[in-house]
Amino acid sequence: MRNIFVGILLLFMLHSRAETSDTIPPHAARSVTLDEVVVVGGREEAGSRLLPSLNVVRVGQDWMDEQRAGSLMQTLDGVPGVRAMHIGSGQSKPLIRGMGFNRVLVVENGLRHEGQQWGDDHGLEIDQFAVDRVEIIKGPAALFYGSDAIGGVVSLHSRVMPMKPFEAGVRLFAQTGNASAGLSARVGGRRGRHYYKVCFTVVDYADYKVTTDSVRYYSYRIPLRKRRLRNTAGREYDGSMAWGYTGENFSTRVDASLVHLESGFFADAHGLEVRLSDIDYDRSSRDVDLPCQRVNHVKLTNHSLWQTGDVRWESRVAYQANWRKELSEAVSHGYMPLPPGNVERSFRKQTLAAGIGLEVDVQERHRLQAGLTADFQHNRRGGWGFILPAFEALSLGGYLLDRYTLSDALTLNAGIRVDRASLHVHRYRDWFLTPVADADSVHKERSPEGRWTFRSLTWSVGGRYVSGAWTWKVNVGKSFRVPQPQEVGADGVNYHVFRYEKGMPDLQPEESYQLDAGMAWRTEQAHLHLEPFVNYFPNYIYLLPTAGYTEGLQTYVHTQSRVFRWGFEAGASYRVLPRLEVGVQGEYLYAVQLSGAGKGTALPFSPPWRAGLELKYVFPSADGTGDGFVGCSYTLVGSRNRIVPPELPTAGYGLVNVSAGKAFAWKGHRMSVHVQGLNLLGKRYYDATSYYRLIDVPGPGRQFSVLLGMEL
Amino acid sequence: MKENVCIARFKAVVCLLAVCICGLSSCSSEEGDLRKPVIETLDDSFPTNCQVYVKGGVIPFHYAFTDDVELGNYNIEVHNNFDHHTHSTEAGDCPFDPVKKPVKPWVYNRDFSIPPHSLRHDARVEIPIPDDIDTGDYHFMIRVTDRAGWQELKSVSIKIVEAS
Repeated sequence: MRNIFVGILLLFMLHSRAETSDTIPPHAARSVTLDEVVVVGGREEAGSRLLPSLNVVRVGQDWMDEQRAGSLMQTLDGVPGVRAMHIGSGQSKPLIRGMGFNRVLVVENGLRHEGQQWGDDHGLEIDQFAVDRVEIIKGPAALFYGSDAIGGVVSLHSRVMPMKPFEAGVRLFAQTGNASAGLSARVGGRRGRHYYKVCFTVVDYADYKVTTDSVRYYSYRIPLRKRRLRNTAGREYDGSMAWGYTGENFSTRVDASLVHLESGFFADAHGLEVRLSDIDYDRSSRDVDLPCQRVNHVKLTNHSLWQTGDVRWESRVAYQANWRKELSEAVSHGYMPLPPGNVERSFRKQTLAAGIGLEVDVQERHRLQAGLTADFQHNRRGGWGFILPAFEALSLGGYLLDRYTLSDALTLNAGIRVDRASLHVHRYRDWFLTPVADADSVHKERSPEGRWTFRSLTWSVGGRYVSGAWTWKVNVGKSFRVPQPQEVGADGVNYHVFRYEKGMPDLQPEESYQLDAGMAWRTEQAHLHLEPFVNYFPNYIYLLPTAGYTEGLQTYVHTQSRVFRWGFEAGASYRVLPRLEVGVQGEYLYAVQLSGAGKGTALPFSPPWRAGLELKYVFPSADGTGDGFVGCSYTLVGSRNRIVPPELPTAGYGLVNVSAGKAFAWKGHRMSVHVQGLNLLGKRYYDATSYYRLIDVPGPGRQFSVLLGMEL
Repeated sequence: MKENVCIARFKAVVCLLAVCICGLSSCSSEEGDLRKPVIETLDDSFPTNCQVYVKGGVIPFHYAFTDDVELGNYNIEVHNNFDHHTHSTEAGDCPFDPVKKPVKPWVYNRDFSIPPHSLRHDARVEIPIPDDIDTGDYHFMIRVTDRAGWQELKSVSIKIVEAS
C-alpha cells in the first residue's frame, strides 16, 4: 500500500515537473517537423494516455509563441492536418483533416468547450494566451468525449501549476496586417498545497488589410479604402482565474473564465447580399459598426482527482454560458416588414456537464478506465432572424477501456462506449405574417415542436509498437455525432448565406469508421513521419443543395449519404549541419460522396493539399536559456476545384514566411522575443475555407508580427 | 548499420503508399457538374438596370438561362429598396429617390420550373405591376439553379412611377 502512495507521489512529481517544462523536448521544439507519434515522457493527457494508438500532436507555449497569430486556430494552423477556418482576422475555428463545425471537438482541461460551433461565422471563444499547451488528436476520439469527436479533438490545457510562491509573466503581441495589439498578463503562486493563477488578456484589432483595392462581387465592384476590409475590426477581453489544492492523494481545482469578443463583419455584403448603408464605415478603421457579433462565454469548472487504494478517481463538473448576439441594420425582406431593433439573432446557451471516472491497474499489465458522463444543454433564441430553434438536450454516456502493455515495445488498447442523447426542440413561428394562397396571412411555422432520442455504440481498437528509433501505430475506431437541432427541426431561411434550409426529422446519428496508421522514425539527426487514414461514413449528414426554391430562396435539405475519405500527413526533417535543419511536410485529403443526389461530389470545406519547406538555423546558448533561431518557410497550397454549391473554385498559391526568436536573461528575468513576417511577397491569394471566400475577399497581405515575453 | 535497415524499410513503406495513392486517385476522375448556370442578357432582355416602369403596367420579363449539364428552376422576386439597403449586382449607379418608409410596397415572389433536360431556356413572363402599390426604387431579383444545385443570381435596380 505504501509503495502505491510513493509511486503516486512520484508520478505527481514527475507530472508536475513535466507540466512546468516545455511539452516538446528542446530538440523537437526547435525541429521544423512536429512530433507526431513519438510519445514524450509522462505528458500525455487522459484523452491520449490510455489510447496510445491514436495519432496525437502536442505543442507547448514555446512553439505557439513562435507561430503566434491573431487567434488560437490561426496560431495552430501550421500543425500538419490542422487548418484554421478564418472568420475575419481575429477569430477562427478548427478544421482537422477537413472536418469542422460539429465534427471536431474542442476540449478545455478535459471538458467539452460549448459554443455555437455550428455557424459559419462563429469563432472559438478561447483566450489563446491562457493556454499552456495543446494536444491535437487526429482521428476518432468518441470514447472519452462522446458525440462530435469524429475528425478529432483540439484539447487545450491551462493546467500548468505555479511552482514558486509568486510568479508573473507578461506578453505583448502586435501585428501589422490588422494593426492589432494584445497584452496578456498572468500571476500565480503556490503556498504549500494551495496555488492560484490569474490571467488577463486584452486584444484590439483594426480592419484588416488585403491585397486589393476592390472586391468584385458578381459584377458589382466594392471599392476598399486603403485596402482595408471595411468593418472587420474587433476586440477581445478575457479573464480567468484558478485556485487549486494538491495533496498526497487528493487534488482539486476550480477554474473560472470569461471570454468577451466583439467583432464586425465586412460591411459591404451581408450573407450573400450586397449592402449599402448610411454608416460612415471609413471614419475609423478600429470601430465596430453594424453588422457585428458580440459574444460572452463564461465557464466555471471543477476537476478533482483522488486515490483510494489502487483506484484513481477523477471527477469533473462544469457550467458554461454562451451568450451570443449578431447585430445588423434592420431591413425588410420578402414578406418580413422592417424589423424592430438591430438584434438579428441572439443565442443563449447554457451547459451543465458532469463526469466521473476511475482508473485502476489490473494484473500489472492492464490499465482499466471507466467513466460516466452527463451533459445538459439549454438553448434559447432571440432576434428577428431565425436559424436555430430553442432546444434542450441531455446526453448520457458510459465508457470502458483497457490499455494492455504486452512488453516495453508493444501496447494495445481497446474501448467501448454507449451514449444516449435526447433532444427537445421548441416550436418557432415567424413574428410577421406571410400571405398563403387561398387563405389568410399566417405566422409561418419555421420549426415544429419535436422530441428525439438518439442512441449510439462506439468503440476503438489499436496498438502501438516502439522499436529503437521507430514508432508504429494502428487504430480502428467508430465515432458519432448527434444531429443538431436545426438539422432535424428547422424549416427556414439562413440569412448567413441566403438560402432556405429544411431540416429532416428522421435523421439518424451520423456514424464514422476510421482506420488510422502512424509511423515515425526519429534520431538526433533526422525525423520522418507519416500518418495515413481512411474514413467511411454510412450516413454523413449533408446539407444538399437542390434545384428548387422556397419563398424565393434556393432550397437546401439535410440528407444523409455514404461518404468515403482518405488522406495523410507526412513530414521529414534533417539536420544538415549541427545548427541548420531542413524540413518538408505535407498533407493531402480526398473526400467523395458515394450515394445520394450529391454522389461523386466532394464535401463542403474540404481543404486543398498543402506542402511546406522550411529551413531553420539555431543559435544555442551554453545553458539553454539564451537560445535563438531564424527560420524561413515556403508553403504551397493546392487549388480547389472539387467543390459543392455554393463554393467557388479556388486557385492554388505559395506563401513565403520568415520568423526569428531569441530568449535571454535580463536582471534575472526570462525574456523572449519572436518576430514573424507573413506573406512576405504580398501574394494575392484566396483561402478556400475562409468565411469571406464566397464574396471573393482575398487573404491578408504582407504582414509582420512581434511577440515580447517576460517572466518575473 | 541498423539505421540503414530502418531507412530501407521506411522507403519500402513510402513506395507502397505512393502506389496506393496513385491507384486511388486514378479511379476518382468522375467529377460531375461543377459549373453554375448562366443568366444571359439578350438584346431584348427586360428588365435591365435603371429602367422605369409604371404602376398598373407590365414588366415583360425576358432573359435566357443556360447550363452545361441541366437547368433546374428559376425564381423572380421584387422587393422595395426605399431605404437604399442594397445595390444591384450590375456595374454603374442608378439615380435613387429619397429614402422613405414603405406603406404598401410591392412584393412579388414566384418560382418557375424549366422543362427537364434543358441546356438552354428562353424565359418570358408577363409580370403585372399592381396599381395600388408604393412608387419608388425596387430591386428585381432573378435567380436560377441547375440540377446539381448551383445557383446564379442577378439583381437589377428598377423604378416604379405613377402612370402619367
